[in-house]
Amino acid sequence: MQGFPVILRQELFGLFVSPATYVASFYFLTLLSFGFRFFIEGFSDTDWILPPLASLVLGLLFGSPALIPFLTMRSFAEERRLGTLETLLSAPVSNLTVVLGKWAACYLFFVLISLAAFCFPLIVCLFFPVQASSRGFNNSEQWFGCGLYLLVFGASFSAIGIFSSSITKNQMVAGMLTFTLLTLYLSLMTISFAEATEYANGDDFSEFIFACVGSMFQGLAKMQAFSLGVIDLQTIFHQFSVLFYFLFLASLKLDCITK
Amino acid sequence: MNSNAKPLPIVEVVNLCKNYGLIQALKGISFSIGKGEIVGFLGPNGAGKSTTLRILSGLIPADSGEARVCGVDLAEEGGEVRQHIGYLAENNPLPEDFRVIEYLNFRASLKGLKGSRKKNRIKSVLEVCDLERRVSERKIGNLSKGYRQRVGIADSLLAEPRLVILDEPTIGLDPQQSATTRKMMEKLRGEVSFILSSHILSEVEACCDRMIILSHGQIVAEGTLVELQAKYISSVSFELVSKNRKIFLLKVIRDIAPDCELIKIDPVEIDGKRRFAFACPNDEQSVEEILKKLLEIHEVDVSEFRICRPDLETIFLRATKQNWKERDLRGRGRIS
Repeated sequence: MQGFPVILRQELFGLFVSPATYVASFYFLTLLSFGFRFFIEGFSDTDWILPPLASLVLGLLFGSPALIPFLTMRSFAEERRLGTLETLLSAPVSNLTVVLGKWAACYLFFVLISLAAFCFPLIVCLFFPVQASSRGFNNSEQWFGCGLYLLVFGASFSAIGIFSSSITKNQMVAGMLTFTLLTLYLSLMTISFAEATEYANGDDFSEFIFACVGSMFQGLAKMQAFSLGVIDLQTIFHQFSVLFYFLFLASLKLDCITK
Repeated sequence: MNSNAKPLPIVEVVNLCKNYGLIQALKGISFSIGKGEIVGFLGPNGAGKSTTLRILSGLIPADSGEARVCGVDLAEEGGEVRQHIGYLAENNPLPEDFRVIEYLNFRASLKGLKGSRKKNRIKSVLEVCDLERRVSERKIGNLSKGYRQRVGIADSLLAEPRLVILDEPTIGLDPQQSATTRKMMEKLRGEVSFILSSHILSEVEACCDRMIILSHGQIVAEGTLVELQAKYISSVSFELVSKNRKIFLLKVIRDIAPDCELIKIDPVEIDGKRRFAFACPNDEQSVEEILKKLLEIHEVDVSEFRICRPDLETIFLRATKQNWKERDLRGRGRIS
């Protein structure tokens, strides 16, 4: 893993100095803040089953197809276009280290934006404690569950973005591909919401694996559990498998490029 | 301990092959490079120079054959070799947004340099590559081609490599910038081994100890300039400027070297002097004897005499021409 912290630092620096990331983050957070404001205002009149904090997480999650491409599209596509990938790989670093370094930088930036979004309910808690308490913002389990849910999904979504960037030299194509894959992923999660689960017995290993892979379905239903502080390990395992799968594919792609 | 033991070569390649689909880029090449040597890789486009250099730098694997660089077997530990080498890629791709100093800092960290050693190495390579402070603070995207090339070379020297691989380091540079690159290599001569690929033959001739000429994935010639001259040039040619008649000069010269041929005559001045070019199949010794004889005879009026040593271009063209001919014959055989 020699070189991982160096690549991570460099990529983070690249994200911090890129105007595209600032513009994307600004619009994303602004839209999210408006959505959040109107949602918590009218929350008491709705029959929405998820608590407001979980709704913020869903906003972040469903907004990620518009945000993550801006963070990941440059990483490999630009290096391949300029030819600097060869220079980078001529240093004593492995392909996997490069992939991990770039992914970690994009993921950390996503986490930073998520932290900024989590400031919205914190502001409510600070200035409107009564209303915050009535909307469940004081429940630490909710904060923990929602945070964890967002962290695992953010990790796998960033990996999808990194993979998309590794397979093309064109940033725009990489961005569009990330958008498409994430939208498809979220669509599957949404259309399968509240469908009956038939695989939750977990009697043997194959059932367990099936359950983990199938946890993409009922992804939103799992959100309910997380928002109540119930940690669903299958969802975490599933998201990790998506993460490793796409990072592995990106690393394989780098191997192919250098051959 | 045996004091006569030969030091291990820095690069040892045996029967290296590489295919890109159906195209055979390397057809079993073998060579070795000693410590401190500067070796030039020559060859026409598509000869396999860059492929060889990329294999040696651990960027791409070979299909078969053996390659050891700095004692590291590339087939087993391809990545390990990058610890010992510096590599300048063809066209020298560099990130444009970085400042020179930032880029070198990044590359030094990536190569595992830390603290004061990193600082000292950066300072040292900036000095070796003539990248003064004013330039090191500038963005790479705003630098001229020559300076960018120097940044690439500085990067390749950062981790005190035992072998530096430079893929066409002087492409697109003006003569002054090329001379600076040569000067930089001269500074490090003996300490570091260099492999240099280039199309600019005069460049290779000027700074390399040895040349390897590739054509169609094969080594067609290898050796020092003198060795290559001996192998590919069968006659010594010389020129003289004289007022004498052609028949008279030929008679005098053929008394010493009967096989000597007159190649061409060019008028040089209005006063009747002409430039005669001769080719002598014997060695330089007989040419020296011819000169002595010409000086002895009073009737001979020679104002200029020059032995024309064949340059690398002639050798290169002859070596590759032979390979092209063989290939052509094989191609025809296949058709018929």
